[in-house]
Amino acid sequence: MALLEGLRLSKRFGGVTALSEVSFTVEEGTIVGLIGPNGAGKTTLFNLVAGALKPDSGRVVFRGEDITGLSPNIVCRHGIARTFQVTRPFGTMTCLENVGVGVINSPRSESDGNWRATALHYLETVGVEDLAFTEARHLNVVQKKKLEIARALATRPKILMLDEVLGGLNSQEIVQAVDFIRRLRDELHLTVFWIEHVMGAIMKAAEKVIVLDQGQHLMEGTPEQVVADSRVIHAYLGE
Amino acid sequence: MTDIRFYLILFAAAGLFSLLPLGLGDYHLHVMIVSLYYLMMASSWNLLAGYTGQVSFAHAAFAGIGAYTSGILAVKFGVNPWAGVIIGTAAASLLGLGVGVLCLRMGGIYLSLTTLGFSEILRIVITNEYDITRGTMGLQVPGLVEEYSKAAYFYIMLGAAMITLIVLYKLIYSNKGLCFRAVQNDERAAASLGVDVVKVRVLAFTVSSALAGLAGGLYGHYLHLITPEIPSLDQQFLVLSMTVIGGMGSFLGPVIGAFSLEILSEYIRAYGEYHVLVFGLIALVVARFAPNGLMGLAASRLPGGPAPAVTVPSTGKS
Ligand SMILES: Nc1ncnc2c1ncn2[C@@H]1O[C@H](COP(=O)(O)OP(=O)(O)OP(=O)(O)O)[C@@H](O)[C@H]1O
Ligand SMILES: [Mg+2]
Repeated sequence: MALLEGLRLSKRFGGVTALSEVSFTVEEGTIVGLIGPNGAGKTTLFNLVAGALKPDSGRVVFRGEDITGLSPNIVCRHGIARTFQVTRPFGTMTCLENVGVGVINSPRSESDGNWRATALHYLETVGVEDLAFTEARHLNVVQKKKLEIARALATRPKILMLDEVLGGLNSQEIVQAVDFIRRLRDELHLTVFWIEHVMGAIMKAAEKVIVLDQGQHLMEGTPEQVVADSRVIHAYLGE
Repeated sequence: MTDIRFYLILFAAAGLFSLLPLGLGDYHLHVMIVSLYYLMMASSWNLLAGYTGQVSFAHAAFAGIGAYTSGILAVKFGVNPWAGVIIGTAAASLLGLGVGVLCLRMGGIYLSLTTLGFSEILRIVITNEYDITRGTMGLQVPGLVEEYSKAAYFYIMLGAAMITLIVLYKLIYSNKGLCFRAVQNDERAAASLGVDVVKVRVLAFTVSSALAGLAGGLYGHYLHLITPEIPSLDQQFLVLSMTVIGGMGSFLGPVIGAFSLEILSEYIRAYGEYHVLVFGLIALVVARFAPNGLMGLAASRLPGGPAPAVTVPSTGKS
């Protein structure tokens, strides 16, 4: 069953058509990759789902419920969590407090009053518990990405939307990160919707890959189908 | 900061302060009373500007609402000044709620301009409604205590300042406070984690206005004369300077700022009313070169000392 569904979503910025009538589905329990050249509209699609932007037309349906145009905090409470391509840490707050914000606002939060213990748990999950009492502005890019994942997990989402989280990692770390995301999915019974430029990672992790190009839904399929598709090769190499 | 540490420090400080009337003459007690008023004003403005990034210019106006509401009720309707202060506080919080809701979708400069407008409208109304407010002549109002004594007012203001600090502490160091600071840091990220940004901003506006109303109400009855000076922009900039110079976004910053600037201004009063201008300039320099104010400087001098929570609020975000 489709957990998340986009129906003919369109979004324009002035003269730029960032998305044009894009439809897609993300099945429960899967990892779905979202790829496409720079400016294809991937982040815009995330923003429409997360409520950060309102679509010009089209619908977003989550667990059978129309959530189009709801504010981001309400969307979060429905069980959709996201990270930002350019990380947005709460710089003057400690990492523990950063994650704490996710904990205390989650209607599904398991912490009864003690958000610190729960927040620490999620810092451990992503492996930055050493930084619990460090202000987030002192983190490097990789640590900031991990912090964002911890923060997102702390809201107890059903679906986790990752926007390019592998930046700054070497090839060995990328392999570990892919394993990590898969383990997260299995252990937390998550669904993962994942934008990534690192093709190898998406090919290894995803069950399905959706390709956007210039705001259009170009194609979708298994990783094997996608890499073999001439339109995809053209979209990436043809410019 | 743990709860116990906060209450220990607060009550220890208040205990020491309560000895002051034994050693200080009327003039110095007056300076302390005024300082406590500014402490309440600067600390509650800090909740808005320092913790949720809403730079409001209507804070002195809300103090004026508290003062005039209570004063007019006492003069025209014979309402007990204490009851008047409570009603004045409620009026300020209601208006604060209104302005907060009005400014919801505004960020940065638009919010500042709207609150500036509100403040100006209030000034015009007060100066023109002479029959009710006595305009620039000022409204003579009864005091809060039967027998006038500086010491009595000092204890009243000390109590009110403690209430203000406890309310603020409860908010800032509660779960809500975590949300406040998240909103101040990055609204979009906060919203993505389930924070109701609108609610946070309105709550901060309402509470901060209520505290300004309380401060203004008490202060008016202390002075026995309520003039448009209380809700003036002069006062607003003084409160702003105190917060910025002391350390915006840190809990103690406005407290330090209020005392140091009020005491300092008593010394330079001889040179005329330019001191607000001077403080404004100092505040500008501080905002530029030491955005965490005196608290930030103190923290950077003491390794391992508590770093101030927040830097200057980001403006211009919608
Ligand atoms: N807030 C905005 N205002 C104006 N134009 C925007 C805005 N956001 C995105 N765009 C434009 O919309 C188009 C799609 O951008 P988007 O960020 O969604 O692409 P993307 O696929 O995420 O690209 P990248 O791989 O570089 O992250 C681009 O042309 C971009 O310039
Ligand atoms: Mg992008």
